[in-house]
Order: sequence, then structure tokens, then C-alpha cells
Amino acid sequence: MNQLLRFVSLVAALVRTPRGRTALVCVVAIALPFVGRNDAFTNFLADAGAFVLLALGLNIVVGFAGLLDLGYAAFFAIGSYAFAMLASPQFGIHLPFWLLLFVASGIAGVFGILLGAPTLRLRGDYLAIVTLGFGEIVPQTFLNLSQWTGGPNGIGSLDQPSIGAYKFGFNALPYYFMVLGLIAFAVWVASNLRNSRLGRAWMAIREDELAAAHMGINTTTTKLAAFAMGASFSGLAGCAFASKLQLVSPDQFGFNVSVFILAMLVLGGMGNIPGVIVGSLILSALERFILPQGTNFLHGLGLNVDLTNSRFLIYGVILVMMMLFRPEGLIPSRQRKAELHAGEGDAGVAAQEQALYTEAVH
Amino acid sequence: MRLSPISRAVAATALAAVLAACTNSTSTTSSSGSSSEPAAAGQTIKIGVDLPVSGADASIGIPTQNGVVLAVEEANKNGFAGGKFKLDTSLLDDAVQGKHDPAAGAQNVKTFIADSSVLAMVGPFNSNVAKSEIPLTNDAGLVQISPSNTNDGLTIGDDAKKLRTAHPDTNTYFRVCTRDSKQGLALAQVAAQRLGLKRVFIIDDNETYGKGLADVFDASFRQLGGTVLGHEHITANQQDFKALLTKAKADNPDGVFFGGNTSTGGGLVRRQMSDVGLGSVPYLGGDGISDPEFETVAGATANGSYMTVAAPDASKLPSAKQFIAAYQARFKSNVGPYSANAYTAAKIEIAAIEKAITDAGGKMPTRADVLKYVAATKDFDSPIGKVGFDANGDTTSPVLSLLEVKGGKPITIDVITLKS
Amino acid sequence: MTLFVQQLINGLSLGGIYALIALGYTMVYGIIELINFAHGDVYTLGTFFSLAILTLLGVTGIVSGPMLIVVVAVAILGAMLLCGLTGVIIERLAYRRLRNAPKLAPLITAIGMSFILENLMQYWKGPSPIPFPQVIPNPSFAVGAVTVEAKQIMVILLAVVLMMVLQTFVRYSRLGKAMRATAQDKDAAQLMGIDINTTIALTFLIGSALAGAAGFVSGVYYGSTWFFNGFAAGLKAFTAAVLGGIGNIAGAMLGGFLIGLIEAMTTQFIGDQWSNVVVFSVLVLVLIFRPSGLLGESLPNKV
Repeated sequence: MNQLLRFVSLVAALVRTPRGRTALVCVVAIALPFVGRNDAFTNFLADAGAFVLLALGLNIVVGFAGLLDLGYAAFFAIGSYAFAMLASPQFGIHLPFWLLLFVASGIAGVFGILLGAPTLRLRGDYLAIVTLGFGEIVPQTFLNLSQWTGGPNGIGSLDQPSIGAYKFGFNALPYYFMVLGLIAFAVWVASNLRNSRLGRAWMAIREDELAAAHMGINTTTTKLAAFAMGASFSGLAGCAFASKLQLVSPDQFGFNVSVFILAMLVLGGMGNIPGVIVGSLILSALERFILPQGTNFLHGLGLNVDLTNSRFLIYGVILVMMMLFRPEGLIPSRQRKAELHAGEGDAGVAAQEQALYTEAVH
Repeated sequence: MRLSPISRAVAATALAAVLAACTNSTSTTSSSGSSSEPAAAGQTIKIGVDLPVSGADASIGIPTQNGVVLAVEEANKNGFAGGKFKLDTSLLDDAVQGKHDPAAGAQNVKTFIADSSVLAMVGPFNSNVAKSEIPLTNDAGLVQISPSNTNDGLTIGDDAKKLRTAHPDTNTYFRVCTRDSKQGLALAQVAAQRLGLKRVFIIDDNETYGKGLADVFDASFRQLGGTVLGHEHITANQQDFKALLTKAKADNPDGVFFGGNTSTGGGLVRRQMSDVGLGSVPYLGGDGISDPEFETVAGATANGSYMTVAAPDASKLPSAKQFIAAYQARFKSNVGPYSANAYTAAKIEIAAIEKAITDAGGKMPTRADVLKYVAATKDFDSPIGKVGFDANGDTTSPVLSLLEVKGGKPITIDVITLKS
Repeated sequence: MTLFVQQLINGLSLGGIYALIALGYTMVYGIIELINFAHGDVYTLGTFFSLAILTLLGVTGIVSGPMLIVVVAVAILGAMLLCGLTGVIIERLAYRRLRNAPKLAPLITAIGMSFILENLMQYWKGPSPIPFPQVIPNPSFAVGAVTVEAKQIMVILLAVVLMMVLQTFVRYSRLGKAMRATAQDKDAAQLMGIDINTTIALTFLIGSALAGAAGFVSGVYYGSTWFFNGFAAGLKAFTAAVLGGIGNIAGAMLGGFLIGLIEAMTTQFIGDQWSNVVVFSVLVLVLIFRPSGLLGESLPNKV
């Protein structure tokens, strides 16, 4: 009991300082697979980690720069296929995995620029629609160009990463730690970017593009940088994800995947890195773990309910309820909260929200 | 007290992890959990079922899953393993947001592997999902039988070898349906020789099964001296085929071949053929359109369609009649094209598990024992005829039935013996 | 040439259905700037509702004579009414509270609503495609070497007539003017004494009713339906609305017909598997070179 108390107070002390919090998160992240002690759980964590990377990338585009992107899965597809084509028997090319991390994210980034250059002068929703179109075009094109991409079969038998003589194989644990490393890197990059000149320019554009332009910000190149950055993160995710699965196929990158990643941001809190991570973990847990296993889970609780036919209903209800009752996300960024509740202290937040809704309803 | 964003992030992460760990541990410990259930059910043995059962894939996944559920329920009713064990299913969905997903399939297989009460699995439905799963079951020695994968590369050739890198000498993957290359060739022979077709227009659904079958048909039909007027791939979730069929009609075909399932357009294409004036032209397809749904969707226009089923004349097999009656009574709906396959796959595994239990002297058998008995399956009586497996995991079932839809009902008009 | 004209007719018929759905997208977007992803599912629901009505009436095959008009009228108006109500309920439950929330929130809500509707339809009629009775006699007319189905004439005519009725309503009626005023400036409209909530609800009623009409039409035209139909059709119809100039009623109609034509012509001259790629590429190009769409006025920067 005494020990427990001491442990709790240690955790509490850690939580109070930023460095302590970071350390705590790291410890938890490293300990998780050992707490789970189950390869299926570790496997889930590794897959979820790849989606955390994707969410962090999309967060730069949507959360930081305020560019609505409904076709982000297209970049994920490009990153994954780039990896698959350069590390598989498809063309007999087997570049080293660690080099491909850079190559694939570079290729995805270039495509971000190629798409962004002509379209980024479009405003708000039009950009959303163009990206939606792009998101439809890319996987269908991969499907159709079957002589290079394997068509509906995709590309299989991808190379597995290795460090020296240690091969990653089919055990999920090394993949998890690799993804964890990539996430740490991505978080470091993203948080430094946010506080950099470029990051402030993004936020200025998000708040008021016209004003930003008048302040001397080159809005086109700044937005392009966001697009390229976001896309290159998906290249990292593509390598990590595809190498573990050993397969890419066109049906992994549909519109639903773009929406899935976007929902992670909205759920967690756009623009806020911890929020985005939490949002993506929750949705991954829901989509890939809790809902598919829902029926077995309920049977385990002694309830004889069959959920497999109702996944869409449950998922839909969760999305709607979440948005209705907490549209700013679970962990909103400080700026966004400030915007939404200007001039209010914490105590007034609820009242302010209530006032907003009341106004809307009546 | 209001927590800072980061500490809330930590709390929420921990919560998510605990949630996930909980679901996980329930599935792994439920065998011991259910031992406390009433009745002398004893320990539970599970068959893992991995199929896409939500969204667009629900139409074909759910009837397939039902086949396994029926087999397990019947086994329990008939005193599975002398009542020493209770048989159960672990039903997992490999569709993410309505589309079958290889990563979700891999996750599900990992879950089965981690659950020691799962001794065998049925699935997956889609060949690309199989590609992400076979390396894992091969690594873990868990037997899996697919009700529907037809892609050649899953069992033979270099492609198949690459899927078995962990234990190249062990095969854990089996399937109860015929490979694309056999069925496509048989269909091409039917078209060219039996029906005397010369000019065929080919349509496929651009999915692994449909395109694979259509490609084999395409090549074989040309080899037999026929002309392929065009080979088009349709888009997923398409409803309008009039432009495509108008294009086909302009070439004046004497037959149309469809590679795909009823749910990916097989029924709609046949129905819309009559709208553009191709209603009297014969229509050919594989086992993907040999389900009652096809006649339901195509209605009166279904007449004049030909399809193959990887089984002897189903109407003469008592086990097939029995199965269809039991299915309709249990689920109040039509049998899907792969329901009988899934039922058969589960039956084979149940039989293997029972033998393994006997071997283990009534104790919980190992996965290796179950695998051994599944691999040794020969002349197994089932609704799709006598089933057995060769060394690659392919079915040795030597016959295909050719059906023709007449008066809105499929009638077996021939039984084709395949060369292996 | 014959083939080209024949494909023109195919494209226009398909486009007529897109156009009817696009009208709903364009109205809703025009007034509250929401891409209502659930709208495609309301369209499918329209087919389900008309099927239910036909079943209630005991109609299973071709109806002829004066009864045909009664049956068609009851089915189509019933589907329009039920879909309209569904639209209003969705707006009230899911979107109204979010009118002042960050823009992505209602978008995600709409996607959630779409999932819910799809799953409810799956419960209702099962996961497999279901047949729709052939209600209308379908003689074909030969014009030279080209044949036109009666169903195709029905689709195109109905789309054009409904569009014209809607256009007249929005332009000349009091409520229509209120809708336009609300679309332009909600606050100013409110100050002018327009009841914003009623006006927005009305927009959803009309847009969803048109989707209901499209649902009936597609059931008759294709002879079958499926709970998941709305996903692809909705995406295309939305594209049509943007192509024509979002917020513009005639534009939605034009966009719908154009998308139908592009699809048919791609199938004929390039290959069916490329139809989506071509449709969406055209969309991207149009937006790059003419962001306001074909008939849209250049909008003030609202973002």
C-alpha cells in the first residue's frame, strides 16, 4: 500500500513537468507490449503505430496549416507502393530497408508537391474536393496498371527489415519498436516545425490567409511545404506498415482510409500532437481490435449478442456522438480552445459552449 | 482539478491500452472462463473464422460465415467428441470500414494464434488477405482452410513458396474450391466445344478471383480457337453496366463471360444485358455466380446462364439437400455461393479435431495433430461432394458440375472431370 | 456514329440519376456549406422505401393502363415524402448543433450518419442485392439504328422536370427566396425576419425528397438495389454538383448529365476500369482552371 502511494506520488511528480511527462509516455510506450504479453496485442500496437504516423502527417496538413485533405490515403498508397516496388521480387530490386525509409518518404513528398502545386491556390472546400478526387484516382490507377503493380493481387513477399544479422521475421515486437522510433522522430520533427518560423507561418495561414500574405508570407510555398511534409510522413508509415504485412494491394487505400485518418484527428483534437496520437490509438483500437472482436468480447462477458453485423452502426454512432458532444476533440490544442472560447477562463468554458449551442438551436 | 492536455493524453493512452488488453485477455482466457459454465461441457475448443462481414463485403461474407456457424452448431448437437469438449467459434471480421483488409486479416490470425483454444481456422475469403495470413499460420502451425480463395499462387509455384518461408516443408493452408486455372479452362471448353461459341466478350470485376478466372478463360478460349472481342474490367460498387454492354453488343458477341461474384455485379450485368438487346446471348461464369442470389437479382433474365460448381450434381447429393434445408431453416435466408464451402471446411476441421482428441486420449489435442489430420483428408463426404487435399493444399475433388439456368432455376446439365 | 449516339443516351440516363442526387448536395452545401455524405444513402433509402410501398400495394410486375399512373405516383411521392422526412430528422439530430462548430466536425458527423443509414438498411433488407419489380412497361423505340428504352426517357424527363420545378420554386416563392437569402448571409437573413432553422430544414426536406425520387427511378431503371449503392453514387453525384458549380441548381443538373456522359464515353472509348479515374481527373482539372464550376459565379472567399 505504502509502495503504491509512493509510486502514485512519483507519477504525479513526473506529470507536473514537461520532461517528466515525456519520460512517462516513453516508459509506458516501451512497457506496453510486455504488459500485453501477447503477440496479437503487440501486432495491433505496431499497426496502430503506423496509423499514428499517418495521423501525425495529416495533422501537419490539416491541423497546422488548415488545408482540408480528404485524400490522404493516396500518399500512403504512393509511399507503400514505392517501398513495395523497390524491395520485392516484383522487379527483382531489393534496396535496403533503412535506405527505403528515406526514399519512400521522399517519393511521397514529391507527389505531395506535384499535387499541391496546381491546386493549393484553391480555397478551403475546393481543395478538399480536389484531394478527394486524387484519393480516388491513385488506388484505382494502381489497380489498373496491373503489369507493374500486380493489379488486384498487389505486390507480395516484400523484404523484411533487419539490423545486422537480426531479422525482423514474423514477430511483431521488433516492428513495434521500429514504429515507436519513427513516431518519436515524427513527433520531434512535428513539434519543432510547429514552433519554427514555418510552423508559425502555417498557423498564420490557417487563421487568415489574406492577412498572412500581407505580412510577407509566401503562402503558396508555405502551403506546399505542409503538403510535402505531410505526404512524406505517410511514406514512413507506408514502409513500416507494408514491410510488416509483406503485402501492398490497392484495396488498402480507399476513401474510407482517408476518412479513418481524418476522424483520428477530429476525435483527438486537431493541431495538437498528443491529441492526435490519442485519437488515432482509440480509433485503431476500435476498428482493428474492439469491433472485430466485439462479439467474442461480449460472449466473454456472458452476453449472447452478435455484433458482427452491426459494426457500421456502432462506429457511426460513436462518430456522431463524439462530434455532437465534443466537436473540438478529446484533447484540443490550446490555440484552438482559445479560438473557440475567446476571453473565457476554464470555468467559463462550459457556459460558453452552452451559449454557442443555445444560440444555434434557437 | 483540470488535467493538462498531456497528462490527459497519458491517461487516455493508458485507458485505450487497458481496454485493448482487456478484450485481448478475454479472448485468450475465455476457454478457462467457459469451463465454469453449467452443464458438463468441459473445455472449449474453438474454430477461428476470419471473413469480411461488414460493409460492401457483408453480402458475401455473412452467408459464408453462417456456413461455419451451422457446422459448429450441428457438431455440438450431435455430441462433439463424446461431450468431453464444447465446440465454439471465434468470429472475426477482416473488413475495415467496409472493405476486406489484409492487415486486419493478419491481426485476426495473430489473435487466433494467441488464443490457445483455437485449434483451426476457416478463412480468409479474399486471396490478398490470404497472402498476408499464410506466412503467419505457417509460422505458428495453425491449420487454415479457405472456402473461396482460387488464386493459383497461393498453393503452387514460386509465389506459394515465398508464403511459406518460416517452415518451407510444412503446409498449413488448404482450400476446398478449385483453382482458377482449372475452372477457367473447363469454362473455356464448355464455351468453345459444348456451346459452340466463337465470339465472346469478357467482363470481370477487377478483383483477385474475378480477374484471375477471366484471365485464364481468356487465354484458354483463344487457344481453343475462339475470338475474344474484348476484355473489360468493371469498377467496384458499380450499378450501371449499360454503356459497357452497349459496347459489347456493338461487337455482336455470341456469348458473354463474367469473372466475379453475384455481389460484385454478376447478377446486374445479366439483368442489364436484356435492356441492351443481349438477353438471348448465353452468359457464362464460375462458382461466384452459382448462388440463389444470382437468380434472385437477375430474375427472368437469368435463363440461358451457365456456371460451374466445384462439386458433383448437387441435386443428387443428399448431403447438399440436407445442408440447404438446414441452412434455410436456421438463417431464414438463401444460401450464398460459398456457404457450402465454408460448411465443408468447418466439417473437415471438426472431424480432424475429433480424431486428434481421440489420439490425445480425450485431452486437449495440439494444433500439429489437427493439422496432420486435416492434411490427410481424403474422400470426405460433404455437400460439395467428396473432398480431399493434395500436398499443396488444393482440393483433389476431380469434378465440376455445369449448371444451366432454365425456368429461373439452375439445373445440372453435365459433370466435367478435371485433369490434375 | 450510331454507337456514339447510343452511348449518349446511356450516359444521359445515368446522368439523370446523378443529377437528381446532385440537386440535394448542391442545395445543402449552398446553404450550410456541408458535404452531406449521408445524402447518397438517403438516395438508396429512396429505393428501399419505394420497394416497400410497391410491396404494400402488392405490385410485383408490370402494371398497365390507368393503374400504372396511380402506382407510380403513390410510389414516387411516398418515397419522396419519407426520404424528405428522413433528411429533416438527420439535420435536426446530427447537424443542427454543429452549425458553429469547426468545419470538420459536421463532415465527420455526416460520415457517421452515412454508416448508420447503411447499417440500418442492411438490417432491413439483408446484405445482398435485392430485386426491384419491373413496374413500368419497357418498350424500346428504334430511331434509325439507335434504340431508346422507355425507362431511359422516363429518367431523363423526370430529372429535367423536377429540376425546373425546383428552380422555379427557389427563384419565385417566398420560401425559395428565404433559402437564397440564408445561403448568402445567415445573420443578415435572420435580421430580416427569416427563420433560419425552418429554412434549413426545408432545404433538407426538398433535397432529400429529390434523392427519394432518384431512388425510385434507379430501382425501376436497374431493376435491383443494394444497401451499399449510395456510397459510390453519392460520391459521383457530389462530384457532379461541384462540376456544375456548387450551390447552383441548373449547374447540378448539367454536372450530373456530364458525369454520366463522361462515364459512358470512357467505358466506350477507353475502358470501364478507367471511368472513375477519368471522372475524378476531369473534376480536378475543372477545379484548377475554373474553381467555381461550370455555371457557378465566382464566389466571394468564404473560408
